[in-house]
Amino acid sequence: MTPVTALIADDEPLLRERLRAHLARLWPGLRLVGDARNGEEALESFEVHRPDIVFLDIRMPGLDGIAAARAIARRAHIVFVTAYDQYAVQAFEQGAVDYLVKPVDASRLADTVGRLQRQVAAPVRAGAHPDPQLDALLDRLAGRLGGRIQPQPEWLQWIKASSGTSLRLIPVEQVRFLRADDKYTRVVWEEGEAIIRKGIRELAEQLDPARFVQTHRAVIVNLGCVEKVVRGLNETADLYVRGCGEVLPVSRSYLHHFRQM
Amino acid sequence: MSSLPTARQIVVVAVFTALLSWGLQALTRTAYIEVFGRLGFIGLALLMAYAAAGGLRPRWLGPAPARLAAVVLAAPFAVLATAVATQGGHVATYLDQPSNRASHVFMMVLAIVIGVPFALLAMRGERKVRERADRAQAALDKERLERELLDARLRILHAQIEPHFLFNTLANVEALVAAGSPNAAPVLRHLIAYLRAAMPRLHDADATLQTELQLVRSYLELMQLRMPDRLQFTVTEPARAAKLRFPPMALLTLVENAVRHGIDPAVAGGRIDVGGRTDVGGVVLWVEDTGVGMAETAGPGTGLSNLRSRLKASYGAGARVELHETAPHGVRVELHFQPGGIE
Repeated sequence: MTPVTALIADDEPLLRERLRAHLARLWPGLRLVGDARNGEEALESFEVHRPDIVFLDIRMPGLDGIAAARAIARRAHIVFVTAYDQYAVQAFEQGAVDYLVKPVDASRLADTVGRLQRQVAAPVRAGAHPDPQLDALLDRLAGRLGGRIQPQPEWLQWIKASSGTSLRLIPVEQVRFLRADDKYTRVVWEEGEAIIRKGIRELAEQLDPARFVQTHRAVIVNLGCVEKVVRGLNETADLYVRGCGEVLPVSRSYLHHFRQM
Repeated sequence: MSSLPTARQIVVVAVFTALLSWGLQALTRTAYIEVFGRLGFIGLALLMAYAAAGGLRPRWLGPAPARLAAVVLAAPFAVLATAVATQGGHVATYLDQPSNRASHVFMMVLAIVIGVPFALLAMRGERKVRERADRAQAALDKERLERELLDARLRILHAQIEPHFLFNTLANVEALVAAGSPNAAPVLRHLIAYLRAAMPRLHDADATLQTELQLVRSYLELMQLRMPDRLQFTVTEPARAAKLRFPPMALLTLVENAVRHGIDPAVAGGRIDVGGRTDVGGVVLWVEDTGVGMAETAGPGTGLSNLRSRLKASYGAGARVELHETAPHGVRVELHFQPGGIE
């Protein structure tokens, strides 16, 4: 009978060592075939060694434990290891997947080892069949941790402007207005001015419309910085910017933003 | 500033011209309605000119001179218009008579002599309204700033040690102890220093830059223990700044961000440099990492705006937080302030 094999994936070396020491004592027959420092290494090592069991830390750089578990799917028994994630733990309790909480408690690990030994000894393995229950659990986990692990692309929050040798990152909430100036765009914010290459049209698409509004072919203004809008001739208006005494044009096609003001 | 007169301005002009007409009709023995018709028209015309000049705002003339000029220029035209209205096509013959011409000129002079002080009074009134609005705005800004500071303090009180960080660190300490490592005791000391500093507290009067840098060093030592192959760091204390009073956790927030958003997601890790300098321009402190850098859509988080308001509360409105992207990748955050600020 071939020995049962396992793989440990954790980005923290001391914790890999600790789990290895625990397992050596609780399950002397288990052969540890590899160490992985992130999800990608875990997958590589998995393809090479095809272990029966994979211990996966959830938070790892690059590919995280949940994504790695998805790729491994039913080809191995997966045990998640996590330091503290109440959402993850909730999800594990609902699903049938085993999990360990760091620092790993020896008696808790002994239970897991016992369960794994019974599962590995069972004659029929599900093989590559899809497991809807596992998929559903992983989806739930990814959804719960998604906000932190994979941020959704959203509105522009920072404007990058070169200043000297470095690129300054300007938080958009400090931006008063943006005005096209020939090939460049002038950014005026609380602490100064800068020139950026991005055009007004591109910026208008990327900035949160609840916060920024275009007033003219060449002008975008932060609504929080509008002091007043004065109607002029010909369905145009002048927009006074709070805090810097600048007056911006509002052209006819954009005036509707200020009808109620 | 609108290009139309306000209702109040129209009422003032109407009442004043009505009174003035009453005085003039006694002097000239002309029908009241005719005098009031002319004076009322002239008054309203000058008011329209005044308001229009305010709305147009020519670039080569200030708003006040522009309005006075509009009143002075409008006066002869308005007076001439009343002459045309009353005399019809006989204006030329009417003005040929010296007595009529004299009264015409008198009307013009009267319009200017009365119109100009009225314009000045109106501008003074508008300025007062504007000043009142500015004062209200300033009070509002001050209140907002105070509220932000209060929020920031409350958040500091509620600031919790991130459980994920705590349990992961404890797992590392447990591993060291179980292995009988000589590193266990120093690591525990770092953890204790970090926990003591990170405990919520009300008074931060005795916090200095030195204590903050010790906290930062403890935190980075713990993080390096956890990822020895992925994190390098330096903490350099700026000269002559050790005793500087410093809002606690301000630098730590930046270092935690550098680890969480810069180094943690980077497979190869990176380095964090904490340092500063003091010169005549004030104090600059920085936290620089060579991590994955920041996406333009990365949420700004409350940490940075919180830090900004605490810094302003400690060192005055001139204090600021600057973010820079470094090459080839990474973020450098700088705190700029004058140590002799308020408090």
